[in-house]
This record gives sequence, C-alpha cells and structure tokens, in this order.
Amino acid sequence: MVKRFMSWLSDPLGRIGLLIAFLAVFSGAAFGLYTTQTAPPQPIQFPHALHVGLEIQCLYCHPGAYRQASAGLPTETKCWGCHQQLSKYADGTVALPAELQKLKGYVDAGQPIPWVPVAQVPDFVHFNHRPHVAAGLNCENCHGNMAVTGFTVAENPQVMNMGWCLECHRARTAEDPEKRTKLLDCGTCHY
Amino acid sequence: MTIELKIPEYSANWAEGEQQGKWGMAIDMDICTGCQACVAACAMENNIPFVGEADSGYGRSMHWIRTERFWEGEFPEIKMTPYQPVLCQQCGHAPCEPVCPAFATVHSQAEALNLQVYNRCVGTRYCANNCPYQVRSFNWRDYERPEPLPNQLNPDVTVRRRGVMEKCTFCIQRIHRAQDQAKAEGREVADGEFTTACAQACPADAIVFGRIDDPESAVSKLAGGARGFHMLEELGTLPAVTYLKGG
Repeated sequence: MVKRFMSWLSDPLGRIGLLIAFLAVFSGAAFGLYTTQTAPPQPIQFPHALHVGLEIQCLYCHPGAYRQASAGLPTETKCWGCHQQLSKYADGTVALPAELQKLKGYVDAGQPIPWVPVAQVPDFVHFNHRPHVAAGLNCENCHGNMAVTGFTVAENPQVMNMGWCLECHRARTAEDPEKRTKLLDCGTCHY
Repeated sequence: MTIELKIPEYSANWAEGEQQGKWGMAIDMDICTGCQACVAACAMENNIPFVGEADSGYGRSMHWIRTERFWEGEFPEIKMTPYQPVLCQQCGHAPCEPVCPAFATVHSQAEALNLQVYNRCVGTRYCANNCPYQVRSFNWRDYERPEPLPNQLNPDVTVRRRGVMEKCTFCIQRIHRAQDQAKAEGREVADGEFTTACAQACPADAIVFGRIDDPESAVSKLAGGARGFHMLEELGTLPAVTYLKGG
C-alpha cells in the first residue's frame, strides 16, 4: 500500500492530484471557518451608526436590558412609530429609501421583522441583562461601539465565551469574596 | 504556551451535628396524600421529557421527584407506610460529587446546592450509581416532544439532550429569579416569597421550602421540630430535605 502510494507520488500527475486534493480540503475548511465569522443576513440593513449618531439611546429600542433577562429586538411598529413622522418622507419631497420600504412592507402586512440575533449564548447558559446594567456596565462594554462607521449591522466585537465572561467576573470581584463566590459559581449561569 | 489547569477542589466543610446548607425543604409525610401533583408540576417546570412506555419498562423513566410507598408486615396484616416524596436531598456531603470525572456535578458554594452542569456532563452515570437516594435520571435518548408540546417548555430551564444526567435543582431558576427581583428592589428575599414547583403544586401544603440557615423561616421551624428526620441519615450525607413523621 505504502509502496504503491510512493510510486504514485514519483509521477508528476500524482503530485498534481495530491495538490488538488489538499487544496480542496484546505479551502473547504477555510470556507467553513469564514462562514462562522461573518454576520448572518438581516431582513433590513439597519444602520446602527446613524441611529447612535442621532443620539437615540440603546434602551429606547432595546428596553428589556434595563429590567429583564432579554434586551429584546424592536418590533416593526416601534421602528415605524418614529419613521412615519419623518416629514421629508411624509410630504413626499423625498422618496422612501429601499430599506424603509421594506420596513413599511412589514408594517402594512402587520408582520414582525424577522431580525437575526447576533449576540447570543447557548441554550445551557442563562444570561440576564438586568444585573449587568445595574452593575454599571454600558452596552458598548460587551456589544462594542455601535457609533463606529462600518457597524451597519451589529457584529460582535469579541467572542462571547465563558472565559470572556469569567475574566470580567474575576476582575470586578477581586475585593469582594462573597460576590466572587456567587459570580464564579457554575449554578449562576448553568441550570 | 502553557495552559494552567485548575481543578476545583472539593471540600466539605462541615462539623458533626451542624445544620448545613442555605436552602432546605420540609416534607410532612403525615399530610402527604400521594396525589402525585408534585411529580406533574416538577415535570412541567423543569422540561422533563416524556420517556414513554417502552423505555420506562427498562427502568429509564425520568422524574426529579417520585412518591414512594412501602408495605409493612406479613401478608394478612399488611399496613402501608405513609407516602414519601423523594427528590434530590441536596446533600451537604454528597456522594455524587466526588465520583464525577468531568466535574459536572459540583457543589455550589454560593447557593449550597448540588449542581448538575449539563454542558460538562459526559454521561458516565457514576453519580447516579453512587446516589443512595436514586434520584438522578439519565437521558437515554433524545425523547420526542410532538407539537404543540414544545410550547409549554420553560425558557428558564435548559432542555437537556441525550447522554446527560439530570436531577432536581431545588428550582434554582426560581431562586435566581427571586434573588434578582429582590436585588432590583433593594431588599432581601423574604421567606415564603417564592417556592419550588412541587411545593407550589402540593394541595395539602405538605412541602415547605425556604432558607434553612434562617432560624425564623417556616422550613427551619418545621425541620427543627421533634418529628423531623433525614432520609438514610446514618450515611452522613447531610441532606437539606427533612421529612416529618409521627405527628
């Protein structure tokens, strides 16, 4: 078997074949890795930077972060509540841009916008926004600066894994052993 | 690059006769009618799968709480013992914990409970074999939940997959929710403010849940009474569940 493989290798055609096989496997793996690192397609290309630039608070559209586990994604009526009042579109001087037409489509159909959440934890992790906001953390500490150009659709600035969670929990509870016990306990997040 | 491996050290800091733990439960066997409401409520609260007839026949039925009964005496003069709901006793010195090779069942230092970390569990089933109360159940399969049953899943509890051990958590999701609510309102969790699913469902109020380290709580008063005993007390597992009998 090995002998046959070696003799096959001495043949230039065999070498080319091996190279093609290697490239196929390598590019397949690279593509797979690439797809895990790209943002999923969203129903509407929402420009976070523009809305943050208009000084709209994060909590206006994601109010759940302040009082419950899930921050929530805005409904079509919440978006339209502001957007229908924009006078330049309302009086017809400027035509409704394509992305806002999509929004109007959802409003007219009475259907929710199928946003794809990007900042997610697995099922066996129970994350609660409220204590994190109460501890004085700002949204950008974990979700990145949405005002930076390029953040049209939200992308996680860091890998949200357990090491990253615990790094912060350790650093912030260095002086409080009781809090440290609570925040490093498995049962605080996994149940 | 060297990876520093830190293995959590298991230490049971307890003294003989000392009341252990933070959360405790008192179950009055004199009041319990064996109606199984706690069993049903637990299954609904904790997303426990429906195993089905075939697998139950192999002894693979899954419950975090069960109602036990025994017969006393020889045939003509038999007498039934009181019903005894058996759930994880949340031992202070738990036999399941030191045998886990994956550190999936660990002792919570913060809540003083025996945790089961599903994402760590590799399914060796050592813990279940070492549990003297036989309260752990293993997911032998991914049990089917036909529509519309997935709609009643509790979002606060992980849906376990095949090959994972599970057991009663003392409804830790309710503990966390009550603690979070109390903290948001800037106060301590009051006794009786929340309870476990089994205690909530019990129509006879035979199950009382609360802080065992607070001598003023309802559960401490019941557990400290003369009727209280622990299941298999001689094993020295320091259970957090106290049974009451002989009133």
